[in-house]
Amino acid sequence: MESLDRIKGRFPSMLKDVPSTNDNEAVVELADKTQLRKIVAEAKKYFDLLFMLMVVDRPPKTFEMNYVLSSYSKKDLLTIRVNIDRDEAEIDSIAGIFTSAEWEEREAYDLFGIDFRHHPDQRRILLPEDWPGHPLRKDFEVTEEVKNWTGLDMKF
Amino acid sequence: MAEEHGSNEFSYPGMSEILFMKAEKFIETVMNWGRSRSLWPLTFGTKCCAMEMIPFGATKVDADRMGTLFVGDSPRQADLILCSGTISKKMARRLLNAYEQMPHPKYVIAVGACNVSGGLFHDSYNTIEGIDRIIPTDVFIPGCPPRPEMFMDAVIVLQKLIRENKIKRYQNGVFG
Amino acid sequence: MEATGSTNRITINIGPVHPSTHGVLKFVVDIEGDTMVKVEPEIGFVHRGVEKMAEGRNYNSYTPVIDKLDYIAALNWEVLYASVVEKALGVSLPPRAVYIRTLMCEMQRIMSHLLFVGHVGEDLGNTTLFMWGFRERELLMDLMESVSGGRLAPMYVSMGGVYYDLPKDFESRLLPVLHTIEHRVLNEYKALSYENDLFIARTKGVGVISREFAYKYGLTGPNIRGSGIARDLRKDEPYLAYDKLDFDVVTEKGGDAYARFMIRINEILESIKMMRQLVKDMPAGEVKTKVPWFFKIPPKYTFVRQETPRGEAAMYMVTNDDTKPYRLKIRSPSFYVMQALRELMVGHKVADLVAILGSLDPVPGEIDR
Repeated sequence: MESLDRIKGRFPSMLKDVPSTNDNEAVVELADKTQLRKIVAEAKKYFDLLFMLMVVDRPPKTFEMNYVLSSYSKKDLLTIRVNIDRDEAEIDSIAGIFTSAEWEEREAYDLFGIDFRHHPDQRRILLPEDWPGHPLRKDFEVTEEVKNWTGLDMKF
Repeated sequence: MAEEHGSNEFSYPGMSEILFMKAEKFIETVMNWGRSRSLWPLTFGTKCCAMEMIPFGATKVDADRMGTLFVGDSPRQADLILCSGTISKKMARRLLNAYEQMPHPKYVIAVGACNVSGGLFHDSYNTIEGIDRIIPTDVFIPGCPPRPEMFMDAVIVLQKLIRENKIKRYQNGVFG
Repeated sequence: MEATGSTNRITINIGPVHPSTHGVLKFVVDIEGDTMVKVEPEIGFVHRGVEKMAEGRNYNSYTPVIDKLDYIAALNWEVLYASVVEKALGVSLPPRAVYIRTLMCEMQRIMSHLLFVGHVGEDLGNTTLFMWGFRERELLMDLMESVSGGRLAPMYVSMGGVYYDLPKDFESRLLPVLHTIEHRVLNEYKALSYENDLFIARTKGVGVISREFAYKYGLTGPNIRGSGIARDLRKDEPYLAYDKLDFDVVTEKGGDAYARFMIRINEILESIKMMRQLVKDMPAGEVKTKVPWFFKIPPKYTFVRQETPRGEAAMYMVTNDDTKPYRLKIRSPSFYVMQALRELMVGHKVADLVAILGSLDPVPGEIDR
């Protein structure tokens, strides 16, 4: 992919190629998470929108962040994969670069408990404010206690 | 309960019965008849069942001919909650809030498998397994989603329950 | 309602259950006079944890859950989910199954757009249009029921094809219905909607989406085609049988609520055109490749995106050599639309809120997942 080669040219030896199983998709892995904002800002020159942000929980060590970038005029997709530590789940927010990332990051905070630094408005989005825990983590079990929680002052 | 209140026994009183009825019972019969024929619903539609609730009010099934007029859509003017669609935990407190605002007597119809027992989303972390955990429910409609005709059937059943004075919470004019 | 800060700035809550919104959405709106100065959409009222449920169910048992995501266009999502699993599994479809899927997708698109027409009518106080939209949709509902047995949630798409073949008299029943809908959309609707002065006054110049704005918030589908961006996955990355069909990508220049309404009206006509071709060229043969009920998929990442009536929907599935997905991420186009409303509504009157929201056609079930 031409655009990917140019991004790699700007940041040599920072991005590692990962074989992709999808057509038109290029996957790169970023080892240093502090460089994410720079890479994404560079990628924005070639890609129009943040298509989705997928977080995969890989216990016991890592959260795998997949930033999928897409473009309106081309078929190309670029997935930037960053592994972050599960215990100190913290990464820079890219909401300043792609505005559409803002709610995606709020969702990741809500469901996985990942802390996004410099996020303009980080709070829960899908679940109520007083909901206990982060449900999409693999160690979260749907127990009777969770099911019966309503946030209301009533007992079943 | 049926032994204590003889009024549970009667159904569809004829003209001769009404003439020789006690005044108290007569008023109650007339009131229940009136209530059953003007059930104004609060359309608490959240999800797919709400999409079938619209054809229930629209031309083909036509809720209006049973006196179920879709007017106002305010809990303050409603007699009946048509609770259609999954109730999540964020929505549970809103549902209770809407129910508490309604004037007596108030009736609840739980629409769809989610509101009967949890249904398809029984193993989800964020749904209420049946709204009878939160508010007292009179009629349940199964189905995922139910057909518009089933809404009609539920309204007819509820009307029958009201006319026969079988809604336990409101027996003999006492609101429990 | 509370007064905040300056004397004439008022914060009002609209929703979550509001007759004019398209479901349970909530807006916290700051108004000055009658003008909205700050809008904060709030979502999550029908969040069911669909992505978590995927991790606990077999590939086949998960299809009914997908039906309830976007309950207005359930079949498009079923096809999307089946495509992801089939791509990961490496199953190819028989040609008749491909055609039936395309046909049903387009039928669902017409149903969704008819519902949109009705809802916009209702939002703008035009109840007749609302009833008309549902009247035409009901014709297709009956057909859908005769094919799949379900009205809203069809459960028709299986892994490797579709569950049942079309009924024998399907073509003879479909073509008159298409004719009726085409006639009514072209001739009857215009008096109440797109050539009606009141309707034009409420929608023209309201909620204008520019090209940059669409890029900024990642909007897709009919909402950006109203702004002149000719982007349609059916044409750009053809899937199913779309590369064999002759159709145009509908675009409008205005970018306002009226343009988005016209896009849907014209897409109904395009879909009717496509359905006629599909019925004519329908190949004979099997409708299903045999796929076992339980199967395992080796570790891999699978990404598929398709055009649903609301925009580009996508699924990213991570598998782990198990009978269940390890992680299934769902991209719903309406999620991004809701985010854009923060900026899109500012500066408009409160009465325009429903016009803008209605013209963008979000579905809460899909936003909250």
